[in-house]
Amino acid sequence: MVGILWCVGVLFVSCGRTSHVRVEDVHVTPVTAADVQRLVREPGARAVLVNMWATWCAPCREEFPGLVRVARKYQGQGLKVILVSADDDKDMAQIKKFLADEGVDFPAYIKAEKDQPFIDGLDQRWTGALPATFLYDGNGKLRDFWEGEAAFNVFEQKVVEVLGKQSKPTGGNS
Amino acid sequence: MKTGSFMALAASMTVAASAFGLNLGDKAPSTTVKMKNVDGSEVSIADVAGKGGTLVIFSCNHCPFVKAWQDRIAAIGNAAKTKGVGVIVINSNDPASYPEDSFTEMQARAKQLGFTFPYVVDATSDVARSFDATRTPEAFLFDKDGKLVYHGAIDDSQKADQVSKHFLQDAVDAVTSGKDVPVKETKFVGCGIKYRAKT
Repeated sequence: MVGILWCVGVLFVSCGRTSHVRVEDVHVTPVTAADVQRLVREPGARAVLVNMWATWCAPCREEFPGLVRVARKYQGQGLKVILVSADDDKDMAQIKKFLADEGVDFPAYIKAEKDQPFIDGLDQRWTGALPATFLYDGNGKLRDFWEGEAAFNVFEQKVVEVLGKQSKPTGGNS
Repeated sequence: MKTGSFMALAASMTVAASAFGLNLGDKAPSTTVKMKNVDGSEVSIADVAGKGGTLVIFSCNHCPFVKAWQDRIAAIGNAAKTKGVGVIVINSNDPASYPEDSFTEMQARAKQLGFTFPYVVDATSDVARSFDATRTPEAFLFDKDGKLVYHGAIDDSQKADQVSKHFLQDAVDAVTSGKDVPVKETKFVGCGIKYRAKT
């Protein structure tokens, strides 16, 4: 009986997420703005979505499931999602647990540069507020940017728009 | 952010050439709006304006960045006040989103940090909107003529032991000594202000 309940429990939890990810399988790499720009311009993606977030940021947490969902839905069509935490690096355990809980099984990052150069290195329009999202096309050109949380349908609409304007799919690498 | 407000924000960003709502040289908006202070009184920016200048900081309780900077905010604010600069710290967050930003929590925080200046509630978030303040802790320093001379971060690092540039302190020192503010605009990563819904 206990076994049956355990299995049902596992099934229930699994169904509630896009995938089950172990904390030890989550990788978070420190990045500067230059690193992010290099990642954006790596070949293979037709659209790149960069999201700045933090574990303690309520609107960031609220939009996260939508972000992960859009990553999963469109990674096969050339979308690459780059999640960059603005948490303090001493909170790495908390960051990894959050990412695992949200089912992030692709590389994630943490800001490792002072604010001013990091912000200016991404986009002058970003005030530094979280969350912030930057959407690039496959050529590394910034196509959209916004501060504040967004729902899955907004992410999807924006991503589809960028993907749709490029005729030659080269495959995603998220 | 719901889709509607997202579209509005996206549209405004397309139009806005600058990340800053107020430009250097601008006067403070919403100066006569009365806001509830932690001591129970009603205070406006005009009420606190100093002969040497006025420092307005949008802040809150819950934000980890504020927590990292709050001792420095208290020190700079308390010292600025003794030099004739009026100081006011404004919490524009909706406490429904962040219970730690409630009025009673604000009272406790102001006492804990030894604020000698008002820490007030922007009950509609409209004061923050009028400044186009987007995150906490965000500082606006106006000179003795009421013109914006500094906007941005407290300093260049959340970690006190890694600070190399004391932006706000330097700006206050410049204003109170009649000198030009050395660095006038800075950017920093902060907690987005959770505005209350428009009524």
